[in-house]
Order: sequence, then structure tokens, then C-alpha cells
Amino acid sequence: MSKILAVIKREYLQIVRTKSFILGTVLGPVIMGLFIFIPVLVSVMSVGDQERIGVIDASREIYQELAERMDFKLKDGRLKYVLEDYRLTADLEQLKDTLNQKVLAGDISGYMVIPENIIEGGTIEFAAEHVSDFDKISSINKALNTVIIEKRLKKAGLEPGEVSKYMEEVRFVTQKVTKKGVEEDTGGTFIVSYILVLILYMTLIFYGQLILRGVIEEKSSRVVEVVLSSLKPSQLMAGKILGIAAVGLTQYLIWAVFGVALSSYSSSLVSSFLPQASGFKIPSIPVYVFVYFVVFFILGYFLFSTLYAAIGSTVNSEKEAQQLGTPLTMMLVIPILLMMFVMRSPDSTLSIVLSLIPFFSPILMLLRICVLLPPFIEILGSIVLLIVTTVGMIWFAGKIYRVGLLMYGKRPSLPEIIKWVKYK
Amino acid sequence: MKAVDAENITKQYGSFYAVKDLSFDVPKGSVYGLLGPNGAGKTTTIRMIMNVIIPDNGSISVLGEKMSENMKSRIGYLPEERGLYPKMKVGELLVFLAGLKGLRGQEAKQGIDQWLERFDLSEWRDKKAEELSRGMQQKVQFIATVVHKPELIILDEPFSGLDPVNTKLLKDIMLEMKEGGVSIIFSTHRMEQVEMICDNICLINKAQSVLKGNLAEIKKNYGKNTVILEYDGDGLRVREYPEVENIDDYGKYMEIKLKDRADPQKFLESLAGKVRIDRFEIKEPTLNAIFIEKVREKNE
Repeated sequence: MSKILAVIKREYLQIVRTKSFILGTVLGPVIMGLFIFIPVLVSVMSVGDQERIGVIDASREIYQELAERMDFKLKDGRLKYVLEDYRLTADLEQLKDTLNQKVLAGDISGYMVIPENIIEGGTIEFAAEHVSDFDKISSINKALNTVIIEKRLKKAGLEPGEVSKYMEEVRFVTQKVTKKGVEEDTGGTFIVSYILVLILYMTLIFYGQLILRGVIEEKSSRVVEVVLSSLKPSQLMAGKILGIAAVGLTQYLIWAVFGVALSSYSSSLVSSFLPQASGFKIPSIPVYVFVYFVVFFILGYFLFSTLYAAIGSTVNSEKEAQQLGTPLTMMLVIPILLMMFVMRSPDSTLSIVLSLIPFFSPILMLLRICVLLPPFIEILGSIVLLIVTTVGMIWFAGKIYRVGLLMYGKRPSLPEIIKWVKYK
Repeated sequence: MKAVDAENITKQYGSFYAVKDLSFDVPKGSVYGLLGPNGAGKTTTIRMIMNVIIPDNGSISVLGEKMSENMKSRIGYLPEERGLYPKMKVGELLVFLAGLKGLRGQEAKQGIDQWLERFDLSEWRDKKAEELSRGMQQKVQFIATVVHKPELIILDEPFSGLDPVNTKLLKDIMLEMKEGGVSIIFSTHRMEQVEMICDNICLINKAQSVLKGNLAEIKKNYGKNTVILEYDGDGLRVREYPEVENIDDYGKYMEIKLKDRADPQKFLESLAGKVRIDRFEIKEPTLNAIFIEKVREKNE
């Protein structure tokens, strides 16, 4: 046991002390935080410029009220959009040409053409050098809608104020039925499930590859011959896998601390910058989801890392490892591809079956647990199947690892590898 | 008591025998040469002694006990294919490897310090292993083999890559350890080193033992029908003598094996006038010659 501990300690310290681990663990969440806060900060900090927008109002009914509606203000209190009225005196095409020139010269940022029959259902054209400013386009569109619909209503003899009361959108909320009753869910489940499952997927791949590279390094540097004169291959493999598991749990712990800090301060932080977003809330994650997350990480990790270790032992270089490792990596990629399907119909027979298959279950059962809490018997079933498979794979991988470590030269074929299992 | 006692050990991979029915014993406190051409089964044999590979048949006892995992801490093994963790610092690496052998704490630190000092590597303690030259890495590996004061050490080509100064240092340490009662299994292709160091040998060829026993006795049994000749002139003319069985010619130096019961004196007479003789010596065959003969015999 003390030998395994020595290997665990070596693996742990060797990785935790590397720059890439420190950067990945600390900078990872910082960068994620920046991705959330920078856009908010930028939009909050920038004052913006006034924009001049030309209006050719052929109907002569819209301009005045539109100008009143378009009263968006910049941070310094000036109007954001300044409308300029262009009378249609002569030829429309000629006027458009003139305005096109103005747009290109930067005198105005764009212009719209309101046709004569707009109340009866004409189409408004908006031309600008670029039309990718979603915020601007939708502001203009909304203002036009309001003005023109009011006009139409009045023309039909209806009172716009009354009508808008009836036209108010139906309120619609989504709720999640759980054992504890009904909870409101505003899409948080989706985001949280997505993030948790992706973290699981990425860490399983990352730590699997770490094991793979570690084994190849030991083998290609020939240090393994020296180490095996002191302990059994199974002890070396166990120490390596447990050591890197400890690295993974350390990383999770650091992230969890970041996460808790972020979620408890984020609402106040965001709302202090952006008062209108004060309702913003990071959805809280039930404790059982965390528990299952750790359970599935540990089981999935043991399953995949032992197989990555076995693959590492049979090859001589990382290049060779890539070919052999691809099928195993695919076992992690497939559930990610199936994720959307399972999320949409988590209760379908196919989803249930998929989430019971040992190689898929860490990701897909966790996903189902996030989306709807499946019957405990299903969760238990997937965990039992996973444990049985993992134990079997540890036995199998251990046999291969033991022989593979001491084989150099030509990469063995699959039938040869299977034969190794029978060696005494 | 025997340091190693291997009885009829066999290791088979499919239909290929890596080691077949091999028996040998290493007397305690001696240097034992484990010899053989490439691929003969030496490494497999050593791995079986180390319990890294389990023999299909036969038994191995080490230091008077049946070989087991617990015995590993009483043995030091320097493999032929050896390496270090490239990114680890020399000092940490040695602490790790000593720890695997059960040597920890102050005792480990002191032992490592003394050995680093002796090999003139103290300044390299905090350098990464990959920064060391090949010879220095060799020395670090040797320290890892002996720092836990093993009772049996197995050295596979320990001198390869070492300069003459370090070769001498290592040889002196080996003899020192032998005098201290440590048993040594020494595997190499350099027969002249074996002749100078080993008490007993076992020559393996094609998975089987072809020659084993006390080195001095083996050589005596081969009889004094080998002639060492240092000469100048046409070496081909030496071959004209009909009693010559085999010649190993180096251009200015020859080892000549005469047929059984041939008279070396008559041979010397026959050489007169053919080549210029600087040295003519009648002696036991060199181990090199025995090795080549034995291996050839077996392969025929």
C-alpha cells in the first residue's frame, strides 16, 4: 500500500506543479468569468455615438410620430437616433441615389423608405452600409410597428389604448414537476445540464489523455523497467490512476469554490453594473445533482482511465496511441452527439436504454438526472452496470498493461493483445 | 545459502520458448555472470528472478526464500533498458525510487547524499533528469539500484556508456559490495569484463543453458591448446598448419585453437620463417573464444 501511495504522491505532485495545470485550473474559471462580464461591461461602459437616419416618408403620415417614438437616449442624455426628413419632391430613385451617396460618405448611417400605401399594408425598406446591428434594426422596427398599427386601428375606428390592452401577450411560464412539487424553471435546467455534462465530458477526455501520455512516457523513457523492479504493474497502474484522480478532484474543488463565489456575487455584481438586469440569477443546482456528478465522474474516470492506461502500455509513441485511442474517445463523443436527443425526450425508451449502457451512462444518465430525476431504480441500474463493467475492464486492462509495458518494438495487433490476457 | 536458486524454469510465449528448463544457482557473496547472445533469454530470466514475469514452470528462490513481491526491497536491479522520469529532479527521483524500496525519511536522504557525493553528482541534485548526460543518468540509475543496501544486485550491462574513469569507479564499488557480502548477478556481452570480475557463469543460448559453473574450472577443462600469437606479416600463412582448428584473427593478434592433442611446440616450429613472431603464448582459451564456440556449436 505504501508503494501505491508513493506513486500517487509522485503523479499528483508532478502534475499539480506544472504550469499548464495551474493555468488551466485558475485561469479557466477566470476566463469563463470574463466571457460573462466583459460584454456586460462593454455595453455598460461605452457611451455610443449619435446616428443620423434618413426618412423618406411618401405617405407623409408617419414621420412626425416616428420621430417622437424614436426617443432612445445615449448615456450622456443626447438622442441616440436623429431622424432627418427627406421630402419626396421629384423622382424616388434619384433621391435614393443621393441618400446612398450620403450613406457611403458617412453623413447618415442609413435611411428608410416608407411607401404611400403603408397604412394599407405596404413594405418599408431600410438601407444602410451594414444591417448587422440587431439592436438598432429592432428598435426602428418596433417604433414603426407601434406607430403604423396605431394609425391602422384609428382608421378602423378603434381606440389603440383599448386594443393594446386586449392584445397583451398571454403570460406563459414553464414548470418542472418534481417529487417536492412544482418548481418554476426558466431554462436554467437546460444551461446547467449542458454545462455539467460538458465539464464531465471534457475532464474525462482530458484525464484519460493525461494517463495515456503518462504511461507512454514511462514506457518510452524505459523508467518502467526500473520501477517494476520495486512494485507490481497493478500497483503502478493503481497509483497512477488514483494520483491523477486526486488531481481531477483538486481541480473540481477549486472550480467549485470559484463557482460558489461566482453564483453568490454574480447577481449583485451584474445588477450593480446593469440595473435593468437585477432579476438575473444563476440557477441553483440541487445537491443530489452534485452528488451524482461526482459519482459518475469517479466511475466514468475509472472505466476510461484504465482503458487509456492499457492502450498506452501497448504502444511506443503518442502517434500510435492516437489510432488505438480513437475508438475509446468515440465512446465519449457518441453520448455528446446523443445529448440533444436525450434532453428533448429524456423519458423515451431509447433514452432510458442509452443511459444504461455502461460507456454512455456517465454522461447520459447524469444528463437525465439534470433534466428530470429518473426513477431511482434506473439510476441504480446504470451505476451497478457501470461498476460491473469497470471492475471487468480494470481486470482486463491490468492484464494487458502488465504485458504491454515490457514489450517494445512493433505495435501488437488486436488478436495478439487478446492473447496477452491468458499469460500467466 | 544460495543468493538465487532457479530450478527448471520455463517461460513460453505461444510456441516460442523464451527460457526453457533453465537451472542455475548463484552462491552468496559471489559475482555471477549471466551470459548469452542477443535474444538468448537473459532479460526474461532476470525478469523472472525479479518477479516481473512469472515462470510457467519451475521455481525460483531468492536469498533463501521463495521469490515474492516483498523480496523486491532486498534486491537492486539495473536493467539494460533503463531510464528516468525526464521531468523529475534528480534528488526527488532518487527519493521516490528509494521510497519504493522501503527506504524513507532521513535514512533515504543521507544515503542519497552520500552516493551523489561519491559519484560527483551533488551539484545536479536539483536539475531535471533530462538535463543530465547519458553517463550521468547511468550513475543516477546505479544509485537507485544500490541506495537501499540490497543483499542481491542484478546489473545488466552496467558499464555501457561510461567513460574509463567511471567504469573503474563502478567496478571498484562492485568489488567493495562483494567483499561486504552482497551477491551480484552481472550480465554483459563484454567477455573480458566477465573474465576479470566473475566467479561463476551461466551461458544461455536459445533459451537453454549451454555452459555453467566456476569460471576457472570451465577454462581449465578446455585445456591448454590455445595459442596467443602477436605477429607481423601474412596471417594467411599461419592457417597452412594442418593441426589448426580455429583462428580468431585481429590483424596483428591471433587466438588460435589447436586440435585436441596437437603439440603447440610443433606448431611454433612450423611458423618459423612464415611470419615475424612478437609473442607466442600457450594458454587456456579466452572466455570470448569459448562463448563463440559454444554458441556456434549450439546453432549448428
